[in-house]
Amino acid sequence: MALSLILAALAQDALVSTDWVFQNLQNPKVRVVEVSVDPGVYEKGHVQGAVGWKWHSELCNPVNRDIVSPEAFEKLCQSAGISNDSTVVLYGDLNNWFACWAYWMFTMYGHKDVKLMNGGRKKWELEKRPMDLNVPSHPAGKFKVTSTNLALRARLWDVLKVVEKKEPGVLVDVRSPDEHTGKVFAPPGIQELSIRAGCVPGARNIPWSKTVNEDGTFKSVEELKKLYAEAGVDGTAPVIAYCRIGERSSHTWFVLKMLLGFDVRNYDGSWTEYGNAVGVPIENKTGTIWTGK
Amino acid sequence: MMIRYAAAAVLAAALVLAAARLHGHESYGRAASFTLLAGAAFGFAIQRSRFCFTAAFRDLYLLRDRRMALGTLAALASGSVGYLVVLGAQLPDPSRYLPPTAHIAPSGLHLVLGGAAFGTGMVLAGGCISGSLYRLGEGSLVAPVTLGAAAAGYGLAFWTWDWFYLKMIAEGPVVWLPRSLGYAGAAAAQLAALALLAGLVLWKCPGLPPRPGAPVGPRAALRRALVDGWPSWMGGLAVGAIATFVFLRTSPLGVTSELSRVSHEIGKALGIVPVELQGLGKLPGCRPAATGAAFTPNAIFVLALVGGSAVAALLAGEFKVRVGRPRTFAMAAAGGLLLGFGAMISLGCTVGTMLSGIMAFSLSGWLFAAGLAGGAWAGTKLMRKLA
Repeated sequence: MALSLILAALAQDALVSTDWVFQNLQNPKVRVVEVSVDPGVYEKGHVQGAVGWKWHSELCNPVNRDIVSPEAFEKLCQSAGISNDSTVVLYGDLNNWFACWAYWMFTMYGHKDVKLMNGGRKKWELEKRPMDLNVPSHPAGKFKVTSTNLALRARLWDVLKVVEKKEPGVLVDVRSPDEHTGKVFAPPGIQELSIRAGCVPGARNIPWSKTVNEDGTFKSVEELKKLYAEAGVDGTAPVIAYCRIGERSSHTWFVLKMLLGFDVRNYDGSWTEYGNAVGVPIENKTGTIWTGK
Repeated sequence: MMIRYAAAAVLAAALVLAAARLHGHESYGRAASFTLLAGAAFGFAIQRSRFCFTAAFRDLYLLRDRRMALGTLAALASGSVGYLVVLGAQLPDPSRYLPPTAHIAPSGLHLVLGGAAFGTGMVLAGGCISGSLYRLGEGSLVAPVTLGAAAAGYGLAFWTWDWFYLKMIAEGPVVWLPRSLGYAGAAAAQLAALALLAGLVLWKCPGLPPRPGAPVGPRAALRRALVDGWPSWMGGLAVGAIATFVFLRTSPLGVTSELSRVSHEIGKALGIVPVELQGLGKLPGCRPAATGAAFTPNAIFVLALVGGSAVAALLAGEFKVRVGRPRTFAMAAAGGLLLGFGAMISLGCTVGTMLSGIMAFSLSGWLFAAGLAGGAWAGTKLMRKLA
């Protein structure tokens, strides 16, 4: 009972409704950031006062495949008018996948007051709320990265430690069942592929889409607990979530960490790293091999 | 002649430099820079076309001269189309929310009364507020009297504001045509209404003979654009375009926010007006509102308007310090009081309430226009009696 109250409070802390955002558009402490990955989506119209960030070049290292550095993230936040005492509200297209990646960044880089707009762009548009066409010009913010918590991030060797049972843990594969079983390498039309299809041995398949309602909002905490418990993920063992490039796993990381309070790391390398790595064990139920039958 | 071209060039350069300065300034920024350029363009356009709502009604009533009336209808029609394009991006589905910045104000009797006061005032004064502003840029010394009296008129209105707010505004229905008719329906209805009015004007008022064939060529075209007067319909189209751009980039066209703010500040300093004005913060329109910076956006717009008008006047050789007879000043003062009063209770004037309201498909704009038509008619009758 107490635990669910705590969890509900956790959820309340991390999520805001579209209505709350609508009521707080003029709030001087609030800074809204849209992280949408489809080209032109932000430009065509966004929540009033929202700054638009580009995941590919601003939230990832544009040269090495890596997360954005603390220095670059600081600069990005400052030019968006974000300070350490701002209330940052994140949302985006594609069910908030990339907004969740940004949430994960903010958490790792020590910002204490970050919210995700429940339902993202999808819900805002479904509710027919007004869009703004202008890019805001906020005065420069003073955000500083005061601490980094990279314990929230899993690397390839962390995943292998779990696979080889050198450390306790459970892996959650949030991709579609066809990707998980190795039937397909990736959904059609995707450019980031891997040499091998399949999943990390022992990974549980809980597609991210099972965590949201039709309108993009998250299901209730009780429903989510049940969903994961049925797949054997109940918070007793530390979790590592992965997908293909780390954006859908950010979404699930948010669910498991911020809504359910589990010990969970996001494996941003995901299948495009694991499935291309040499000498790592892979589980492939369908026997698909690159260019083979 | 060289002096006035040089003066025009210097003034134009000053406006552009000011815009550049604002762009990079910490307290101002891109939006302020855009506002300045838009204000200058607006001032230029209305001076070139002598765009004034006073003429639209008074000349129609008095002389059956339909030109400015048609210019106004052209502005409303082109602005409505422009607004439609922007609204479709801002709010694809108009059935639930209102566009957040448009001047879609509560409907009520206060708009008709305000429009009537404003209409009478503008005919007495010989110009509305935007008209007085562009005439100021041409060198008129009567215009500042009108504007000063308007500030005093605002003062009077502040005393009545709470009454109007509680009796008529607070519970006035917000009637936004697209909400009930959809964008297509609202556009069809409004454009049809404007076409009907245009048809009426064209039918009832004879046109002037066409101008003799003017020479063509780049030099003549430049002369036409910068030196000769623009036909009213051209001014109307320019106003409609500028209104659309300003709505897209900043906030709807208006020229009275700063005037009302200054009037309120002066009144408060002298202790002769109420400090609190109920409900003002929530209403759309040309509200008196201070920002942290020395110049509010509307101050920038209005000053640039005067500057743009001055550039146009200098280029055309129309800049002249103009004085009037004592009677002219007296009428300007009397008219100005009514202008200020009417603009306060309507939260805007012919530009901020009528243009920006009608272009946004709000009933509030039409109600103000109805009051305006009646007030201008009464003003014209009064002028004839006094003559």
